[in-house]
Amino acid sequence: MLRNISWRYFDFWLLGAVVLATAFGTTMIRSAVAGNEVLLPLINRQIYFALAGLVLIFIVAAIDYRYWMALYRPMYIVILLFLVTLTGFGQTAFGAQRWFQVGVLFLQPTEFAKIVAILVLARYFQATQNQPRDLRWLIGAVVWASGIIGLILLQPNLSNVVVLSVILGALLWFNGMEVKHVIMIGAVGTISFIAVVGLTAAGIRIPFLQEYQQDRIANFILPEEDATFGATYNVQQALIAIGSGGVTGQGYGHGTQTQLRFLKVRHTDFIFSAISEEFGFVGAMLVIVIILLVIWRCVRAAQKARDVAGMNIAYGVAILIFFQGMVNIGVNLNIVPVSGLPLPFISYGGSGLTSLMLGIGLVESVAMRFRQLEF
Amino acid sequence: MSNQSDNKYQVQPWRLLLVYGVIAFVVLTIIARLVSLQIFSGQEWLDQAVENYVAEVSVPAQRGIIYDRNGYILARNIASYNVIITPAGLPDDEGDIQRIYREVSELTGVPAGGPVTDESLENAKLFSACVPGPSIADMVALGDSIAPFVPVKISCNIGEELARIVRERSVDWPGVSLEIEPVRDYPTGSLTANVVGFLGPISAAFQTAYEARGFVANRDKIGYAGVETSMDDILLGKNGLRVIQEDVAGEELRNLKPPVPPTPGYNVTLTIDTRLQKVAEASLIDEINFWNTRLEASRVISSGVVIAMNPKTGEILAMVSYPTYENNRFARFIPGYYYEQLAQDPRHPLVNNAISAELAPGSTFKLSTATGAMNEGVIRVGQIVETPGRLLLCERFRPTDPCTERNSRPFVDWIYERNGVINEAGFGSLDFFRCIAYSSNVCFYKLGGGFEGEIEEGLGIFRLGEYARALGYGARSGIQLPGEEDGLVPSPQWKRINTGENWSTGDTYIASVGQGYVLGTPLQVLMSGAMIANRGKLMQPTVIREVQDGEGHVVPLWFDPETFYIYEQRTTTDSEGRERVVWVDVADETKIFPLPPAGSYQISPFTPNMKWDATVEPIINEWSCEAGYCDLTGNTKTILPSTIEAVRTGTRMSVTEDPLGTLHQVFTEFYPIPIAVAGKTGTAEYCDDIARVADKCRFGRWPTHAWTLSYAPFDDPEIIVLAFAYNGGEGGSVAAPIVARVMQAYFELKAIDLAQGD
Repeated sequence: MLRNISWRYFDFWLLGAVVLATAFGTTMIRSAVAGNEVLLPLINRQIYFALAGLVLIFIVAAIDYRYWMALYRPMYIVILLFLVTLTGFGQTAFGAQRWFQVGVLFLQPTEFAKIVAILVLARYFQATQNQPRDLRWLIGAVVWASGIIGLILLQPNLSNVVVLSVILGALLWFNGMEVKHVIMIGAVGTISFIAVVGLTAAGIRIPFLQEYQQDRIANFILPEEDATFGATYNVQQALIAIGSGGVTGQGYGHGTQTQLRFLKVRHTDFIFSAISEEFGFVGAMLVIVIILLVIWRCVRAAQKARDVAGMNIAYGVAILIFFQGMVNIGVNLNIVPVSGLPLPFISYGGSGLTSLMLGIGLVESVAMRFRQLEF
Repeated sequence: MSNQSDNKYQVQPWRLLLVYGVIAFVVLTIIARLVSLQIFSGQEWLDQAVENYVAEVSVPAQRGIIYDRNGYILARNIASYNVIITPAGLPDDEGDIQRIYREVSELTGVPAGGPVTDESLENAKLFSACVPGPSIADMVALGDSIAPFVPVKISCNIGEELARIVRERSVDWPGVSLEIEPVRDYPTGSLTANVVGFLGPISAAFQTAYEARGFVANRDKIGYAGVETSMDDILLGKNGLRVIQEDVAGEELRNLKPPVPPTPGYNVTLTIDTRLQKVAEASLIDEINFWNTRLEASRVISSGVVIAMNPKTGEILAMVSYPTYENNRFARFIPGYYYEQLAQDPRHPLVNNAISAELAPGSTFKLSTATGAMNEGVIRVGQIVETPGRLLLCERFRPTDPCTERNSRPFVDWIYERNGVINEAGFGSLDFFRCIAYSSNVCFYKLGGGFEGEIEEGLGIFRLGEYARALGYGARSGIQLPGEEDGLVPSPQWKRINTGENWSTGDTYIASVGQGYVLGTPLQVLMSGAMIANRGKLMQPTVIREVQDGEGHVVPLWFDPETFYIYEQRTTTDSEGRERVVWVDVADETKIFPLPPAGSYQISPFTPNMKWDATVEPIINEWSCEAGYCDLTGNTKTILPSTIEAVRTGTRMSVTEDPLGTLHQVFTEFYPIPIAVAGKTGTAEYCDDIARVADKCRFGRWPTHAWTLSYAPFDDPEIIVLAFAYNGGEGGSVAAPIVARVMQAYFELKAIDLAQGD
């Protein structure tokens, strides 16, 4: 299968954007962890993951994505097993079980589950492309997705449930989901959201939501005035960091919010704030532009894909990157409740970066096998 | 691989368009938010970022030192050692930390503590720093959770030896160090506590005012009594200020601005001579103990005052108010039980009785009556007054009241009944000088209230008041000590307002001998003597001799006794380059005056301040009386120098007249002094709460305070001493020996100083 590989259609624009984002991220992580001896090794770890990720892109790109399609069942079962085990054996952190420790590596199956979900859904839409878009078709997609979504909900990891739901919803939309079904699900969704918010505001515990998750929602919707040093502290410090960056920023390594550690989790969830502080509006826009560039190349790959599966893979990865990126930035800007989603390619995190590289590899694989219009 | 190109499905363009729309909306929202945060309100966020990391650190100024007139230290700052742990400085290894806790615990006795739990932390929160209770582990854990770079006090005020051990061993204990904290120390302790005072924390009421001046509540201390209070503004100095950058954990990173170093407080030299102060205290306590071991319980002398002053300059050489308190016990904090004990003591040890007790001055007040009677021509030199043992005088509330058996009562002389023997003849007849020297009450009743057929018109209460005020009664002296009282020179108007009764002739009689409504502080009694001794010139009493800045330069200062503000004289250059002398309020340097503010007087460098010279300044108001009703004429007059000389002669004769001079025996027999001494005794009947409980407030049973004041040398007085003993009995026998011993000591010390070429 590796014969006759043509690197002619390999999207170097996409690779370039990803390398740029990862390099920028690593540079920023270096600034963010400066002065903290415990966090210093993270710089090198991120570099190793990034290099490994680049190699992964080429390997995955070289393999025709349709081979993965054929392996969807074992992949699906393996990831479900991982997720099931996780609720029993994973390391507990912040109330949720999210990773396995394998030697020095902390593996987060959830990150890989997102890629598997995209592959499984792509396979489903490929297989059902000629069926009518009726309720049966809709439920079929939901059933495939809910295996993964359900287990992640049990962890519980609300943010990734939302990410997967958005991917599911968007792919359904691209594959021709009927507007009446959209309205129907939209109505159910809106009602349940209002119910969650209402119950939270009334102080009633909701099953499947951890207390801290409910608190975050409550804090976002009804900020307490005297909670400066409590839950809203991190967000407030992020806003100070972003705002004080101004147009051109305080300069690399000179942001007081970042360097003096007023900004918390500044190498992961709040790295956008650190960038905004040290590189200002210009740096923040650069991040947004790079992410949009990656998304644009994914969308382009989707539109040129030779089959429905390829299109769905590329759209799925694009949606994954877009949604995670914008939610993360939205959290930093305090327009979305605190979620814990990383900024794609830039935030520190081995599993997250590797799984995204995997996704990019798949998109490259799609791009390399465009409809053969020219001979 | 290309033959499977079977993509029949294409996403409808409108579906894509909708998604693009959502993407555009989201991206534009984010960009709009970024523009708003970074470009439009960037400066506000930057201000908040600066506020995050900028911290102002107040560097404490060293409090000024207080010296006595010979340079002997009365108040200083000494090092006190605290063992502190900086949580962020402790090693990473939990085992090392536990070892350090154990070893520190062994040395200091503070428990090392078991595992830190929420409960133990809550408990530790209840203790303030330095209060024993919580364990080391809890204190450090608590500090770590608040500010890991702020040291936690583990054990306070440890001994110097222990401090050395801790310092040596702290090399092996990362995070543990020794903190040196300045603590006020009073080498003379209770001996000078009433003058020097003590320190306490900045109370909530003054917190804002002191914080505006750069002081830190809960760290910096302010004066609570004595000179520590009155000179607080110059003793405090100015705190330094460092503007630093710190990180989120409170670790100091660098100075953001050049640091402003602290300015140490000025050093204050008092007029007190500690040696004489010691003699005064010892003499007073000796005399009190001597009498208390010989008298029945109801006659116990509970408290007393001794003041020594130079009448020519007003310098207070000694000021003892017994009992007093140990100000060293207030050095670190004010212990509740000790303060409570002092506050509930009926003898008021926290109060400086020398300036705060208002007492009947008794016969020492006769100096006022004598000066008035002579100056107003009530009596002439050489005129003889009949002085039987007692007078039957009538109590008239109106001039027209008839004199009958019912409103007449006997007014006795002190010589009338002695040891049960009645002496109807009394002193017989006396001239003016001997009236003073023998302290004849009968004579002064006649001088003050008049006596039909002999002294037709007495001095009267209005004119007596004029002369009492001229001698220093009835107003605060303005000495640089807090809590001074003004005494009382009564008038008929005062009596009507305060008792609802008319002034009676009897009131005038007893006021003439310093009884009844007349009240004076011991300092006022001393001033009356000093004014006579100094031939009419009343000097401002002062305890401040000199004030020097940190480099030893004498600072010119003025003091306002009404407000206790201190003004420093400075030379400034105005905009046109001309030099100008101004007076600056040291507590608020924006208040600048072109002249010393009204009411203030110079305290440094030392200048004798004269309150008035009654022989030059017409400070006596003239009254004209007709049929007992008196009015101001609007004229004023001086006291004639001859008047004062006559009174001085009388005071000298109280020593020289053998045997009846009230001070004859003490200065010739008990404590002979080869220097001409003059003075006046006083035995003041009183009735207060304690006497009333003992059922002593009845005619013939009155308890008495003992007073004596003496000055020397007679021709050119340089020392005046006053002694007062509460419930002391006769002035001549109880107070006079104290005065004589202090007087002797003064001249002996003077001889020693002269021999040493001082």
